Amino acid sequence: MTSSPHALSAAGRHRIAVPAWAWALALLGLFGLYLIAQDNGAVLASLGDTAHELFHDARHSLGMPCH
Amino acid sequence: MTEVLDRRTTAQPPRFGQLFGRLLLAGVIAGTLAGVYSLLVTERAIAPALELEEARAAAEGAGQEHAEELFSRTEQLVGGFLGTVLAGVVLAVVFAAVYGMVRHRLPGRNDVARVALLAAVGFGVLALLPALKIPANPPAVGDAATVGTRTAIYGGVLLCGVVGAMLVAALVSWLRSRGTGDAATALMAAVATAVLLAAVMVFVPDNPDTIAADVPAAVVWDFRLASLGQLAVLWAALGLAGGWLVDRLTRPSAALS
Ligand SMILES: [Zn+2]
Repeated sequence: MTSSPHALSAAGRHRIAVPAWAWALALLGLFGLYLIAQDNGAVLASLGDTAHELFHDARHSLGMPCH
Repeated sequence: MTEVLDRRTTAQPPRFGQLFGRLLLAGVIAGTLAGVYSLLVTERAIAPALELEEARAAAEGAGQEHAEELFSRTEQLVGGFLGTVLAGVVLAVVFAAVYGMVRHRLPGRNDVARVALLAAVGFGVLALLPALKIPANPPAVGDAATVGTRTAIYGGVLLCGVVGAMLVAALVSWLRSRGTGDAATALMAAVATAVLLAAVMVFVPDNPDTIAADVPAAVVWDFRLASLGQLAVLWAALGLAGGWLVDRLTRPSAALS
């Protein structure tokens, strides 16, 4: 059983420890992306507006809903 | 030969920090390539929509107060490029954490295959699925009053996609643990994917907007295809550059030198 290449690659590989900072950074990044993509200014009104105007084309071209 | 295999299987996995650095670099590369694509292709599809908006504003007459633009068109082009690069970087950060979590479970002979597989899943879930359910629209199409609803649908579709991918992955590992053959496993995974996709298409509400009669279908569809192409460039570059960079870290021959 264990000699098949399939079992080797599936069971023989060790798990990588993903540190908490990586998840925190991922969440922070997603939240930041959400902030600059949204123009409703729910969290940071003025920054939201300015950033939205600047990154407006990226918001459309990446498929996010807009005007 | 056996020596190589042994080394491969008993080798310690890469530290997360190394993985993270390489995938982050891949994210910068992918974001830059997608940004270049946006300048060459997507912006060209946005231009007719902006002309349409200007024509509308002109038709509404001089009495209507024209909103002052915060940034010039050139600045917005730069912003569109930078926004795409930024999206690539953030995507890579998330990708690195998820890849670190699932690497030991992903099939594939090496990290090129595994990173590419996860990127393909990411493209399917985060780009293709929303493109099918709530396709991207150029400026001049969306109704400002429904942007909240549309954002909620978009977010809901992404969430459904992530949950669906996890369900299919769970199904695959369950079938494997029961010793089901590869062909049967692939078939069942494809059927499950089709059923979940159909469920999203049927049960998630549609985009509430109707496209105004003065917007030509070509303007909308040129943009939608350009947008999907841009996302394909982003994910393909992340998968291939990321796979290549991570593989150089983990390849057995690299460990020797
Ligand atoms: Zn817009």
